[in-house]
Amino acid sequence: MNAATTRFGIWMLSVPLAIAVIGLGLQGLAAADSSLFFTWGYFLEVLIAGLLQGVLYSLVALGFVLIFKASGIFNFAQGSMVLFAALTMVGFIEMGLHWTLAFVVAAAVMVVVAVVVEKVVLRPLVNQPHIILFMATIGIFYFLDGFGQTLWGSDVKVLDIGIPKDPLFILDGIFEGGILVNAFDLVAALVGAALVAALAVFFQYTRIGRALRAVADDHQAALSVGIPLKTIWAIVWSVAGIVALVAGIMWGSKAGVQFSLALIALKALPVLILGGFTSIPGAIVGGLIIGAGEQVAEVFLGPLVGGAIQDWFAYMLALVFLLFRPQGLFGERIIERI
Amino acid sequence: MYGEKHIGEAILRVDNITLAFGGVKALTDISFEIRKHEILAIIGPNGAGKTSMLNVINGFYHPQKGRIEFRGVERRAMRPHLAARQGIARTFQNVALFKGMSTLDNIMTGRVLKMKCNIFQQAIYWGANQREEIEHREVVEKIIDFLEIEAIRKTPVGRLPYGLQKRVELARALAMEPDLLLLDEPMAGMNVEEKEDMCRFVLDVNDEFGTTIALIEHDMGVVMDISDRVVVLDYGRKLADGSPDEVRANQDVIDAYLGVSH
Amino acid sequence: MLYREAGQFKTSYGADQSIFPIRQDRIALLLFGLVAVFAVPAFASNYFLETIFVPFLVFALAAIGLNILTGYCGQLSLGTGGFMACGAFFSYKLAIAFPELHVVIVFLLAGLGTAGVGVLFGLPSLRIKGFYLAVATLAAQFFLVWMFNKFGWWTNYSPSGVISAPPRDVLPGFAVTGSSGDPAIKYLFLLVFVTLLALVAKNLVRSRIGRSWMAIRDMDIAAEIIGIRPLWAKLSAFAVSSFYIGIAGALWAFVYTGSVEALAFQIDRSFQVLFMVIIGGLGSILGSFLGAAFIVLLPILLNSAPAALGLPIKVETVSHLEFMIFGGLIIFFLIVEPHGLARLWQIAKEKLRLWPFPY
Repeated sequence: MNAATTRFGIWMLSVPLAIAVIGLGLQGLAAADSSLFFTWGYFLEVLIAGLLQGVLYSLVALGFVLIFKASGIFNFAQGSMVLFAALTMVGFIEMGLHWTLAFVVAAAVMVVVAVVVEKVVLRPLVNQPHIILFMATIGIFYFLDGFGQTLWGSDVKVLDIGIPKDPLFILDGIFEGGILVNAFDLVAALVGAALVAALAVFFQYTRIGRALRAVADDHQAALSVGIPLKTIWAIVWSVAGIVALVAGIMWGSKAGVQFSLALIALKALPVLILGGFTSIPGAIVGGLIIGAGEQVAEVFLGPLVGGAIQDWFAYMLALVFLLFRPQGLFGERIIERI
Repeated sequence: MYGEKHIGEAILRVDNITLAFGGVKALTDISFEIRKHEILAIIGPNGAGKTSMLNVINGFYHPQKGRIEFRGVERRAMRPHLAARQGIARTFQNVALFKGMSTLDNIMTGRVLKMKCNIFQQAIYWGANQREEIEHREVVEKIIDFLEIEAIRKTPVGRLPYGLQKRVELARALAMEPDLLLLDEPMAGMNVEEKEDMCRFVLDVNDEFGTTIALIEHDMGVVMDISDRVVVLDYGRKLADGSPDEVRANQDVIDAYLGVSH
Repeated sequence: MLYREAGQFKTSYGADQSIFPIRQDRIALLLFGLVAVFAVPAFASNYFLETIFVPFLVFALAAIGLNILTGYCGQLSLGTGGFMACGAFFSYKLAIAFPELHVVIVFLLAGLGTAGVGVLFGLPSLRIKGFYLAVATLAAQFFLVWMFNKFGWWTNYSPSGVISAPPRDVLPGFAVTGSSGDPAIKYLFLLVFVTLLALVAKNLVRSRIGRSWMAIRDMDIAAEIIGIRPLWAKLSAFAVSSFYIGIAGALWAFVYTGSVEALAFQIDRSFQVLFMVIIGGLGSILGSFLGAAFIVLLPILLNSAPAALGLPIKVETVSHLEFMIFGGLIIFFLIVEPHGLARLWQIAKEKLRLWPFPY
């Protein structure tokens, strides 16, 4: 058994263990404080709901990871890309297109956005320190936000492409009444999984994917073997844009397409901290942890302090993580050479 | 040479220093000493571990084994700002200047350990803080005169050519009034005239201020001319240690430089 | 012709190091000061004073605070709103608890309290950098606003959740807070207060501590080898920055809006101040003022431009356009002049030196 397999095994064991420990802790708390309510069935229900919510976070975080991996830029505008993509698709649906066609058109629009961003923003700023680039993406964030709403209006839009939203009850043999799971969340999880798989195949087995990995590793070296940096960046931002579109569809179907979608970007930050900025599996795992953590904390600890913990829980969790493991669970250690 | 120089006892001693990054051994069992008032050159082929050695003395890298003894105080590893406090100053291969500030400000930052006013005095500025600023400005101006960089004192250092940047970096190190000055390839990338100027400055610093100097250098002419002793590293090991003539005649050193198959 | 330095030789280091070494600058400053102190209150309408000059001064102070942390020390912070909230609520509690305490003392103490909070949330900066640190400051932002909103103790259990700032005089007879204050008095008070604090900031920035901050920003490794302790430098930046931002928050609540509410200090406030600092110029006290003026004036211009030009644009479209223009301007400034309006100002002065000659 080599090191990687043992590590994987340890992870696989420790996760259920951690869940059990947390559950026991919460159960103890609820026994002590009467304002808290706890049953194992309810706990699992909230946990699963949180995990599925986490998948949605992961979808958004994926876009970040892609761009960060390829260009070292933290794209604050990812959130507004999600919003813009969703708005565009809804706009086209409202114009009468079938949703599959609207999807293709919206994807094409995101590619155009990517190309424009690369040409207008990235190229002039290519040698600036990362903080400048980050602030430029804040500028893009505001611009896309305003632009999207100027084009398509700022009412909350309904996005319905036929994803089932019925509640399902599972495991009613083990837990009384069964555990409530939303069909929509399951579909979202499947979509997320499919997307990650597709991206993994893309990166591993296609020529462009290989080039992207090369660029992510070392710009200079990639340039020296003739990989065109600017084209790569345009491609990466396009892929991130399409990922944003998928994320936008999932979020939009669930909660309606509206301005607050753009602020999801802020939530993705803790996800990335946990998972590491450069890791796709990290984005998934980070999203799951944040999603589950948020929900569990809100439901089981929230009543202690009056609720709305989820406003800040994710950030505090990320902060604690940063203090002990700054590179995240899967990220690379940052070694500074002098 | 500049006449009689009194080289004293060891000011710095490193014993059995071993430094590894993961599986890569940068330094293996290195021991040598630097004596007060001397100019010591550390030479060796690329990748020999010279910069790593300076980084260990400075406190950037913490060796897995071995000890450092500076001015009688022994420790395994230093912290960089403690090293500064104890009188060790340093320049870098890839000029580590504060690109957002002017030459004058850069050198003034070198005075930071000598300035004593607290935050309230600084907030008011007039009175004690202004006097202190002027006092240290005078010291810095002396260094600027010494290194002949008056014309560029208000220029942002990012705009200066490489050779001048290296001089500004030296000025900043001098502003710390160090007992031990570590120079990492101070003459890299310079033409003959610039090199001669830099050599003159190094010798003047050693002569006028009595600063002990350890420098990494590739130019053998410079090394033979100005150094009192030479330490030769190769593949992380010490090959030789002695006067320039002794080292020049050492067979191991000749092999390392000419490349004999091991 | 006018703006020539010829003949102005400095004979002492002290003179060389003064804030305004060029005589023409000093004259201009004097004129500007006279206009600001006498002409503006006399001729500007109450509306102008209340909606332009007062918020401009309050924002300028916040921008100076953020500039110290992000512009001079290079630590990106998205928590400005949260720290402003600290200043506002600390002042409120202090003012209620000690009715005899002079309002300026209240503000300064609130600033000190905020400095403490700032240091607390700045502790992570010792291990994390860049936009990782931005996440820590986001934690501060969301947590603080939640805390002030959630716990009734902060608002003295007011049923509506919105509390008005208690009326206070800066000098006997001259009320300066909330609706009871005369706009002209408010303006003059802020002018003096903010100018003094800006002067202190300028002093800090050109002294040892300011150089330490800039060293950390430019290359923290090199700063360490000179003997600067990164811990000290970063935490002091957080402390001083939060002090200023806290006072700005207190001024916002007491002098500008007259009410103390957490909702005024949400994440968009943090972005607003960050934009002021970017557009005005990172690492420049003057830039903080210019950026604040810009951000305060822009929406007013955008709102009145369509009417002035006769174009029928809906109000909400204007706000969308505002977003687009903000975003576009940020990108524009970062590409063209990352050092912002302050640098453009400097370039203008350099050209003025040669005027009317082209070179």
